[in-house]
Amino acid sequence: MWWGGRGQSFNISPQKEEPEMGLSRPKSDQGSRMPEPRSQPSSCLASGYLPGEQILAWAPGIRKGLEPELSGILICTNLRVTFQPCGWQRSQDIPVSSEYDFALVNIGRLEAVSGLSRVQLLRPGFLLKFIPEEILIHGRDFRLLRVCFEAGGLEPQAFQVTMAIIQAKAQTCQDQQYAGITLSTAGQSSGPRKPPVPLLETSEDWEAERKQQGARGWRVSTVNERFDIATSLPPYFWVPNRTLDSEVRRAFGHFHQGRGPRLSWHHPGGSDLLRCGGFYTASDPSKEDIRAMESMLQAGHSDVVLVDTVEELPSLTDVQLAHMRLRALCLPDSSVADDKWLSALEGTRWLDYVRSCLRKASDISVLVTSRVRSVVLQVSWPPAFAPSPSLNPERSDRDLNGLLSSLAQLLSAHEARTLLGFQSLVQREWVAAGHPFLTRLGGTGGNEAPVFLLFLDCVWQLLQQFPTEFEFSEFFLLALHDSIRVPDTLTFLRDTPWERGKQSGQFKSYTQVYTPGCPHPPAGNAVNQQLSVWDWGLRYSNKQIQQFHNLGYDPEHCPDSCFPRQQSSFMVPGPPKSVWLFSRGALTPLNQLCPWQDSSSLLAVSSRWLPRPAISTESLADQEWGLPSHWGACPLPPGLLLPGYLGPQIKLWKRCYLRGRPEVQMGLLAPTISGLQDELSFLQELLRKWPPGLSSEDHSEKRDPNTILSQPC
Amino acid sequence: MLGKGGGGGGGGTRAPKPSFVSYVRPEEIHTNDKEVTEKEVTLHLLPGEQLLCEASTVLKYVQEDSCQRGIYGKLVCTDFKIAFLGDDESTLGSDETQFKNKVVGENDITLHCVDQICGVFEEKKKTLCGQLKKYPEKLIIHCKDLRVFHFCLRYTKEEEVKRIVSGIIHHTQTPRLFKRLFLFSYAAATQNRTASDPQNHAVMFDTLKDWGWELERTKGCLKYKAVSVSQGFQACKRLPTYFVVPIALPEEDISRFQGHGIPLWCWSCHNGCALLKMSALPKEQDDGVLQIQKSFLDGIYKTIHRPPYEIVKTEDLSSNFLSLQEIQTAYLKFKQLFLIDNSTEFWDTDIKWFSLLESSSWLDIIRRCLKKATEITECLEAQNVNVLLLEETASDLCCIVSSLVQVMMDPHCRTRFGFQSLIQKEWVMGGHCFLDRCNHLRWNDKEEVPVFLLFLDCVWQLLHQHPPAFEFTETYLTVLSDSLYIPIFSTFFNSPQKDASIGRESQDAQSNSLNLLTVWDWSVQFEPKAQTLFRNPLYVEKPKLDKSQRKGMRFKHQRQLSLPLTQSKSSPKRGFFREETDHLIKNLLGKRISKLINSSEELQDHFREFYDSWHSKPPDYHGLLLPHLEGPEIKVWAQRYLRWIPEAQILGGGRVALMSKLLEMLEEVRTLQEQVEERRHSQAARPAEVPPAPRHSTRLSSLFPFALLQRHSSKPVLPTSGWKALGDDEDLAKREDEFVDLGDL
Repeated sequence: MWWGGRGQSFNISPQKEEPEMGLSRPKSDQGSRMPEPRSQPSSCLASGYLPGEQILAWAPGIRKGLEPELSGILICTNLRVTFQPCGWQRSQDIPVSSEYDFALVNIGRLEAVSGLSRVQLLRPGFLLKFIPEEILIHGRDFRLLRVCFEAGGLEPQAFQVTMAIIQAKAQTCQDQQYAGITLSTAGQSSGPRKPPVPLLETSEDWEAERKQQGARGWRVSTVNERFDIATSLPPYFWVPNRTLDSEVRRAFGHFHQGRGPRLSWHHPGGSDLLRCGGFYTASDPSKEDIRAMESMLQAGHSDVVLVDTVEELPSLTDVQLAHMRLRALCLPDSSVADDKWLSALEGTRWLDYVRSCLRKASDISVLVTSRVRSVVLQVSWPPAFAPSPSLNPERSDRDLNGLLSSLAQLLSAHEARTLLGFQSLVQREWVAAGHPFLTRLGGTGGNEAPVFLLFLDCVWQLLQQFPTEFEFSEFFLLALHDSIRVPDTLTFLRDTPWERGKQSGQFKSYTQVYTPGCPHPPAGNAVNQQLSVWDWGLRYSNKQIQQFHNLGYDPEHCPDSCFPRQQSSFMVPGPPKSVWLFSRGALTPLNQLCPWQDSSSLLAVSSRWLPRPAISTESLADQEWGLPSHWGACPLPPGLLLPGYLGPQIKLWKRCYLRGRPEVQMGLLAPTISGLQDELSFLQELLRKWPPGLSSEDHSEKRDPNTILSQPC
Repeated sequence: MLGKGGGGGGGGTRAPKPSFVSYVRPEEIHTNDKEVTEKEVTLHLLPGEQLLCEASTVLKYVQEDSCQRGIYGKLVCTDFKIAFLGDDESTLGSDETQFKNKVVGENDITLHCVDQICGVFEEKKKTLCGQLKKYPEKLIIHCKDLRVFHFCLRYTKEEEVKRIVSGIIHHTQTPRLFKRLFLFSYAAATQNRTASDPQNHAVMFDTLKDWGWELERTKGCLKYKAVSVSQGFQACKRLPTYFVVPIALPEEDISRFQGHGIPLWCWSCHNGCALLKMSALPKEQDDGVLQIQKSFLDGIYKTIHRPPYEIVKTEDLSSNFLSLQEIQTAYLKFKQLFLIDNSTEFWDTDIKWFSLLESSSWLDIIRRCLKKATEITECLEAQNVNVLLLEETASDLCCIVSSLVQVMMDPHCRTRFGFQSLIQKEWVMGGHCFLDRCNHLRWNDKEEVPVFLLFLDCVWQLLHQHPPAFEFTETYLTVLSDSLYIPIFSTFFNSPQKDASIGRESQDAQSNSLNLLTVWDWSVQFEPKAQTLFRNPLYVEKPKLDKSQRKGMRFKHQRQLSLPLTQSKSSPKRGFFREETDHLIKNLLGKRISKLINSSEELQDHFREFYDSWHSKPPDYHGLLLPHLEGPEIKVWAQRYLRWIPEAQILGGGRVALMSKLLEMLEEVRTLQEQVEERRHSQAARPAEVPPAPRHSTRLSSLFPFALLQRHSSKPVLPTSGWKALGDDEDLAKREDEFVDLGDL
């Protein structure tokens, strides 16, 4: 049931939402939608605005298209366009509104309407020649803001605000100044605050995480503390226990962008998932270097699988093109007829890419789960040693490896499917691992490719397919989706951990300038003061945050990782017994781990492994467990999900992509489940508290007559 | 029987029979030796069912793909079904057996369910029909419920092959007589059995009382009356025994054109407007006859245009709506997407899934039906006019549209009882010719049009879009669509007086003397436990209004009736869009409107306004229900169409997962309520601990309860190099030798 207004991102009925958000509004005028006597908006801007933000123009108008229609003020600042409904006031706590704000970066298209003419405004050198009656702002996050200006002497203001938006938008494009605004919440909380999710900016975080995963054979390496191995790598990462930092330093130099093999995740069953860039084939490693590389890749396992993460997956250009086509298709005025919708959707190829990612991730999770081994995600293993690097520079460890590694973790372990687990997963595999968010989301004017959005779509597919396996809900994914361009935290506004760290030094001054009355935290705590995207309270109300939880989540469903397999005897001495390359859905044996020809390679894997005929077309899962196909249900290891990736199983994320077309919005069953859950907890409470001998009449009357189960079923 | 030789140690000891070119290597045939030898599966025959022919040592492929596995057994053909008697029932899990059909087993195909039979001759596939000169080595049977069976006859004796193949072809492909239907032999054999009263399951509409009850329920009794052709009129072929016409209609008109050209009442709306249907008068060349027809129709129209009847809007379904031909072509294309012979084929088409789906235009036909029904709903609900549906026979598209309108407008039709009554009223008694449309008698393939399935698919769309509004589930709809081909129920084997050789009298006599079953008695097919899957846990019954409220409603209702001609255009709805009539809206919505409707502009505005305003409000599940018609909202009924494709299932996922969670919670609530109740009565102190409700530990498949009992297999495009052979570390050394040998070869 969808009882919020159509086209809104949350399932909250708008009537309830308003008094909560606009605390100052008296209850009495709730019913009247008459615009209040207009005060200069700068007065209401005094509170709740971001440091350094200036109002450029404003005009009164009515928001259309969404339910309910609201009258208010359209304001353009140097950071965002915001529609401020009458009587609604920004609270100090939630300075960025997920509902009414459009960051300038987020504006994908701007249209002005006057009479029958409708003009695209964001063309260079465009001059508005008429007074707009209505303005349409299309967000790149698929939202749409439609504001109808009021007539009656205020037309110049409508003109001004429109021009201001055009100019401000142009300026952000020119400057490319993504300062990132942080806020001081120090006033509210005394002492250093703990980030809601470990930000992995200190070695303690990494050590704690390592312990939690039970990765006993690994240690935290501080070799990149000064970012001198790679700026795109986090300052700390995990390497095998017995690998020395000097070896790490030398070995990493032979990988593309200095991104050598690091542990991504330790499977509770004993396998290790590693990721690294491609071999830098032009380099000439010494024997010791090769030995170090091999032992890092092997990670103490006797079975090593290198996974090619280029084959069968879209290139960055593909992702970008598909996303652009998808956006065009989902525009409210897209001219695709309903009976041609399906082929148009297919034509975007977006779902095709989602499908190939899911498929690859599913294979990887099978590899990790089926036996104890080391699985290395690598961009491309050169088929033959080539003197010139054949690597496409746009394909590095920083994009699809993160996507696959995160998806594989979501599929194989239920820890990652909790709300906290997922956030730390994103923080670890994307933010800390150096995914170039700024570039990929179009912030630097080239190499744009929304890989992260592709990932979110994949996660949504999983959520669709396994509605009871995830603690977070679709709303949470939407919130994350909408947060990537909000200029309030640095999480998604930098390309590398190095830049992010560099910037956080400057924030101290911001904090000092704009919150003079607050007690200053000691400088050493600057890192802790840094806000991240995971501080949801910055943008979302409590009510909205409550909806981040999936009501259908059934944690008892998956028993605690009772892996029957014994923990492998870690650190097998000697060479691995088998080395495979996994590419195109097939495993081919390799006779060496590194492509450089070196007779003294540790791996004396005999070549007689090589000529293996392809005799089976069984799926990887079938091969791995070797089960007869008419085996009953549930032979899978606990916790492992095998996603569907056939045409009929891949769906369009309507609630996200079709937000601009509210007529297509459809609801979930959430209230039914929540109703049931309320009833359950009520009854349980009732039974638990039942004092012996007390009459039950008063208890039964407390039951809400509106509960959906008020009639016995 | 094959497979007796060879101990547990691999099939290599079994030698292939030399007389056959074998491309199934015997070692790949996974037979469980013990069970084949020890367990003799007996053929379960229904009363009156006769065994016609059989063949032994038939290999049924479990899944036809490149790794061919099969089960040996006996293939039999009776006058009711084709059955395979194998031993694979041992793999059934407890959850699956729970949903077992008592009449048609997993490996049974009723003769009416057979769609097409192909034979494989030396790797070439050919459709089989008529007399055969050569007998195939493999038999592929496509079923109307989209199952595909592969039977290998290579190890079967030649004369048995001849007998079974020609027997199957003869009994499924050749035309047969109505009286030879298994229905009658079954009924004759079960005559002594006392069937449960059909009125418990649905209103059958086979008595005047039933129609009177429906008129009373919908408050249509003031303007319409139930009549019977046996009341002194001559028999009309077109008409059911009982039907409802406007009170003002002169009685002599009814039989004038054998029931053609008279408006028949379908249903009355709460505001007094009625949905009527009329079959067109026979096409005549003679001017004189045409003149008579015209004046007759004029008379009819005058009657129903006059008060107390509302203004009538005529909706001609045979001219500017779908044609049966279109439906047939679309479904033929559509079902090919699911009738796949092997998994490789499925993977080949998968990449173009959406465009293939679109080019079949089945979903578009569904959309058009739903849209037509929505338009008519708007006329009845918002414009306060009567709608008269016109069709040549008033028994195909009329049935779809009128039933859909009722499902959307009348919450009673969204309960199981109401829905069954609706089908009984509009389809069974409404004269839909199931025999022709399902091609039950194999008289004419061209007449086979899945009209009823189209209706069920439309209902599924509604159910999928508004789950809490329906008392029944999609499983119910799927099972209902399967029951179309089970010839022990008279419901869908009821010829509407088409067969000249069987007059109404004789047929009625035959039916009355026999104790025919109705499909609505689900206990014939399913155990009560399985039937719980038909009930939607999300459905909540309508809260009962207290008496004062009800009185008020009735009063209001009558007042409306007394003022039939005041065109009370529902004024509150008018205001909704008034402010939006500015240019922009027209401009913005214009495109979408034009996509939705193709009639005149004013009508479009009405429709759009109605549609938009309904969808902008939270739906009342006990009131009017409208479908979403946009491109992204019309979906494939996955449970029905994909259920036999193992690749399409998601273990532990899909809506089923959410549903089972819901059911669990419902169960928990119920036990807790019971405990509360118990405490209330016995005040004795009991241990306060609540015993946890038993939880499902198994992960159900997303295609539950129909999933083939196969594990999800994720098939790579390219063959993987076999690494299954690579065992644990200990036996590596052992295996290495094998590999060397292989390499030498």
